[in-house]
Amino acid sequence: MMAWTPERWPTPSQLDVSAARIDFPILARTLPSGKPLVYLDNSATTQKPQQVIAAMSQYYENSNSNVHRAAHTLAAEATQFYEDAREKLRHWFSAEKSRVVFTSGTTEAINLVAHSWGRANLQRGDVVVLTEMEHHADIVPWQMLAEERGVELRWVPFDLETFELDMGAFDVAVEGASLVGVVHTSNVLGVRNPIEEMVKSAHAAGARVLIDAAQAAPHDRLGFDELGADFLAISAHKMGGPTAIGALLIAEDAFTEMQPFMGGGDMIREVHFDYSTFQENEHRFEAGTPRIAEAIGWGAALDWLAQWDTDSIHSHSLSLARFVAEELRAIPGMRVFGRQAEGDGAVVSFLHDSIHANDLGMMLDAKGFAVRTGHHCAQPLLRRFDIAATNRASFWLYNNEQEAQDFVDAVKDICQRFA
Amino acid sequence: MSQDENTTSGDWPSALVEIIEDFTHAFDASERYEMLYEMAESVDELPTSEWTEQTRVHGCQSEAHVRGELNSEGTFHLRGGADSRIVQGLIAITATALEGLSIDEVVSFSPAFVEEMGLANALSPSRANGFLNMFKKVQSEAALMEE
Repeated sequence: MMAWTPERWPTPSQLDVSAARIDFPILARTLPSGKPLVYLDNSATTQKPQQVIAAMSQYYENSNSNVHRAAHTLAAEATQFYEDAREKLRHWFSAEKSRVVFTSGTTEAINLVAHSWGRANLQRGDVVVLTEMEHHADIVPWQMLAEERGVELRWVPFDLETFELDMGAFDVAVEGASLVGVVHTSNVLGVRNPIEEMVKSAHAAGARVLIDAAQAAPHDRLGFDELGADFLAISAHKMGGPTAIGALLIAEDAFTEMQPFMGGGDMIREVHFDYSTFQENEHRFEAGTPRIAEAIGWGAALDWLAQWDTDSIHSHSLSLARFVAEELRAIPGMRVFGRQAEGDGAVVSFLHDSIHANDLGMMLDAKGFAVRTGHHCAQPLLRRFDIAATNRASFWLYNNEQEAQDFVDAVKDICQRFA
Repeated sequence: MSQDENTTSGDWPSALVEIIEDFTHAFDASERYEMLYEMAESVDELPTSEWTEQTRVHGCQSEAHVRGELNSEGTFHLRGGADSRIVQGLIAITATALEGLSIDEVVSFSPAFVEEMGLANALSPSRANGFLNMFKKVQSEAALMEE
């Protein structure tokens, strides 16, 4: 069996929304209300193309076996497919000089940095810099470490009007810091932060950089090696892949500073009664039977995505978000939080001043629209605006202009009836 | 009061029967939400200044608060409030069901009406659960008043 090589991916063409849409069976379903589904909760999770579902079924039907260290055919196939998925990720995100460790998702990837790198390198008084835009996943692990180790957390604020990070405050905060944790693209505001500039400043100050790229990965191939960040966390399920798998991309020199976190099978070299030695490669951080079917599903998602030019996915999704944001801003009593500038995420967070976010979410559901309602796992960010919840519509490659128009009409109709 | 003396199908308070019939015969969910918005106005509102940990309905995505009181005739009266108008509309249904009953009757009022009268079907499963939560919270408050 031949290992996967990048030549197997076609030359990408411009996104064809109608053609892409056909591959997502769920988009054809009808809700109990009798309304057809309009799925606008892509920042929470995207739908999966049938090729991903088929790849996972195919694996369970034909090749299911545990990976690594077995002499039989199925184990060899499972191992090959699992490691192929790692190579696809390495190629997709241009991390050829770096390490790709599978995790359960972005949250576990960040926790892995806190446990494996943080606990090996951070002492009392060391500084971790975070931004006020972070998702809880990039806040809580550091608070736990701060509590345990006496590590100092510094927060970089953002402007409530422009939604931009205060880069002057960042340059001050990063002096003497050991690590910077920053969200690439905000899941609430859609804002893409100046990651390149932050990586340079952080490295100049001697700090390592961890990027939460969960929201960027669905429309940006990130170019990890060139970006020069030390750690980058992503989730499969936000880019057409299955839930329960993600990855941490790690620059080689940061990788050498990490200590094993979870112990057990697959991560060891030798185990004795009085000591153990560990693998030197990525397996060092993948204790236990890994998420084999999920890795294969993620690989299939990348195979599927590889047919489309990523920039065209980005510009299509962003243009829908822009249209919706502009229309919603024009509704009396409606506030739109965030930005849809070039490079930003396709996210529109909004809140009506007299219709509760939960009520609006339920009314939209009754009309067939799936949007997220709540704090979006970013309570500190929402508190800066003095609000507890918003509604959020987020777009991906299969959403079309008609859905965006219907959504705007539905929101307007609800506002007219209930405001 | 023993179990078989509980309020059972067929003898629900007429005001409740009326309100739920309207509700379950609504054209669609959007119309039901409009009805709940209207009902929300009828609640004897518990102002946010009186919201406490004691009055909070737990397990609700939005803030909802209820407090049972005895009116001058010594019968039950429910006050409540929620930041979501839809939830406050559901408090109105609870208030309608229990208004003017004795404390004993409130405590033994069978939550089965949620299923039997079709309210559960008209609400989403999580909303129906939330409604039951609130209803049981009101009953346990009433049970404390009894002591």
